[in-house]
Amino acid sequence: MKEIVIASGKGGVGKTTVAASLAVILAKSGIKIVTADADVDAPDLLLALGGGKTLSSTEIKASEKAVVDEAKCTGCGKCVDACPFGAIVAKDHQPAIVQLMCEGCGVCQVVCPVDAIEVKKTVTGTLSVEETRYGFRSVTGYLRLGEHNSGHLVASVKNFGRKAAEDSGKNVLIVDAAPGIGCPVIASISGASYVIAVTEPTPAAKRDLERLVKVIKHFNVPAGVVINKANLSDNFKAALKRWVTRELGIQILGEIPVDYEVVKALVNMTPIIEFNPNAEASKIITAIAEHVKKEVLA
Amino acid sequence: MNQGEAKSTKVLRKKSSGVPTIAVTGGKGGTGKSTVAVNLATALSIKGSRVMLVDADVDGPCCAILLGTKLGTGEEARTFKPVIDAARCTGCSKCVAVCHEHALVGLQGLTPSFFEELCSGCKACQLVCEAGAVKESWKTLGTIYVTDTNGIKLVTGELKPTEARSPIVARATMQRAIKELKDGYDIMVVDTAPGVHNVVAQALWEADLALAVTEPTPLGAHDLGLIMDLTEEFGLPIEVVLNRADIPGGLKDKVVKISQNRGVKIAAEVPMDDELLRSYISGEPIVKKSPDSPAAVALLSLAQHVLEMLKVGEIYGTTA
Repeated sequence: MKEIVIASGKGGVGKTTVAASLAVILAKSGIKIVTADADVDAPDLLLALGGGKTLSSTEIKASEKAVVDEAKCTGCGKCVDACPFGAIVAKDHQPAIVQLMCEGCGVCQVVCPVDAIEVKKTVTGTLSVEETRYGFRSVTGYLRLGEHNSGHLVASVKNFGRKAAEDSGKNVLIVDAAPGIGCPVIASISGASYVIAVTEPTPAAKRDLERLVKVIKHFNVPAGVVINKANLSDNFKAALKRWVTRELGIQILGEIPVDYEVVKALVNMTPIIEFNPNAEASKIITAIAEHVKKEVLA
Repeated sequence: MNQGEAKSTKVLRKKSSGVPTIAVTGGKGGTGKSTVAVNLATALSIKGSRVMLVDADVDGPCCAILLGTKLGTGEEARTFKPVIDAARCTGCSKCVAVCHEHALVGLQGLTPSFFEELCSGCKACQLVCEAGAVKESWKTLGTIYVTDTNGIKLVTGELKPTEARSPIVARATMQRAIKELKDGYDIMVVDTAPGVHNVVAQALWEADLALAVTEPTPLGAHDLGLIMDLTEEFGLPIEVVLNRADIPGGLKDKVVKISQNRGVKIAAEVPMDDELLRSYISGEPIVKKSPDSPAAVALLSLAQHVLEMLKVGEIYGTTA
């Protein structure tokens, strides 16, 4: 199983746009793919693909949360002080767990002198597998609000993706990662065959790319860079390209110009390659797909 | 209340400072959160407010870049990590059993192995060890910078690349900022990470008002719904900033309708503006660089709106 991850550091640079069209192009050229949306906070890949027919929906328990037994609790406050995430708040002389912030480490359970706290597996959300209109399956995690976005959950999404691939006779997993470089992104990148790092020619995106590349190199995953919205700034782009190839030592796979056809395609919930195959973005993502076929999937 | 029933965050949230705080957030990445945060902070500062700006997007902090300033020397944000003293370890495996992250692994009778990248820094292992074999050490998760720039105090949190625990760094960043507030500020503006989970929750904890920056696309609209769910859970008033409001082919009506259906006000519509892009690249906030350009006019009127809310006490006190 090959895994290609679309990541970016900075949000909103075009990961999902690239991932959706790349998936459709590869699928149409006979590559056996499944897609997985690892941006479990804000899963948008299925929207960009125009939705799909739900094949399965599975409740998963990927995280743990502390639970206080108020009958046993004496209100001593030790757990409030011990929590490294600030997730326990004293309320009416009793501790209460802020579900959104609890990461299930269990130190509260250890410090509680009266055994009033237990750490339990909780339902994190559902993982659903959809059949898209493009003949491949897509895995999406729908998180319950208040469940922390951990690498565990991304690992579950990837596992479901691999399973969906096996079930449908596919052998390539395209993973649309979350923005950032933290736990969910690390979980997306570790074990991947290749990372496509999407950026844009602005100082903020460059800085985030630099930070992402540190993570990619740490995990020894080969990578290529896509410069999206490439004509935002020609001067900055020239400097960015030199820096990516010389300083980072990473190949630039393509430059996609600003193109309002991409916005229209998004609004139509259709990958740009289907919405307008002649758009500049479509041509460049097609070239990127060729590169991936030759260099990663061959 | 029954055992195990979750209390809503709304009931639990309690500010630790008395300074009115606005969190700029939005769900989706790249909608313009930092642009709005930096320009709002700059505009409020120009209008005479004492402003603290907190960059709590610790995965990819960029407020300093947008302000055209260099970060000074920072302080490390550190967390506990255990060092097992093999001479004292009795091999009881209690630390292995208590570690929910499986960062300590080993068979009974043996000194456990430690996998640092999995450790949450919770100290449970040290607390259960009866032999005193778990020694305290530290690992650096990131850096927190405090910078004076353009009349604004900027507190920036930065996760160290390859480290995973963004929420801890975001929390340390907020705590540092709150400590700095004692010097006297009229308002704190917090720039959050994209998403809706813990790293964002840490940044929203102190807020009195959330500004959700979104764009008129199906993705922006979808993620706006998610962040509204989160602020509802927080009992946090929210208003929308619609960025790139007039993007060709955009779905402005849809965002307006989502907001209306949930009784959420659209505080500002920021139009497409090449000058905004130039200011973004050159590191000069547009409200200062070109105050007459269309995007600057929208952002300045957002700042005026915030000032008026402050004046009538609408931003302060929701959780006090």
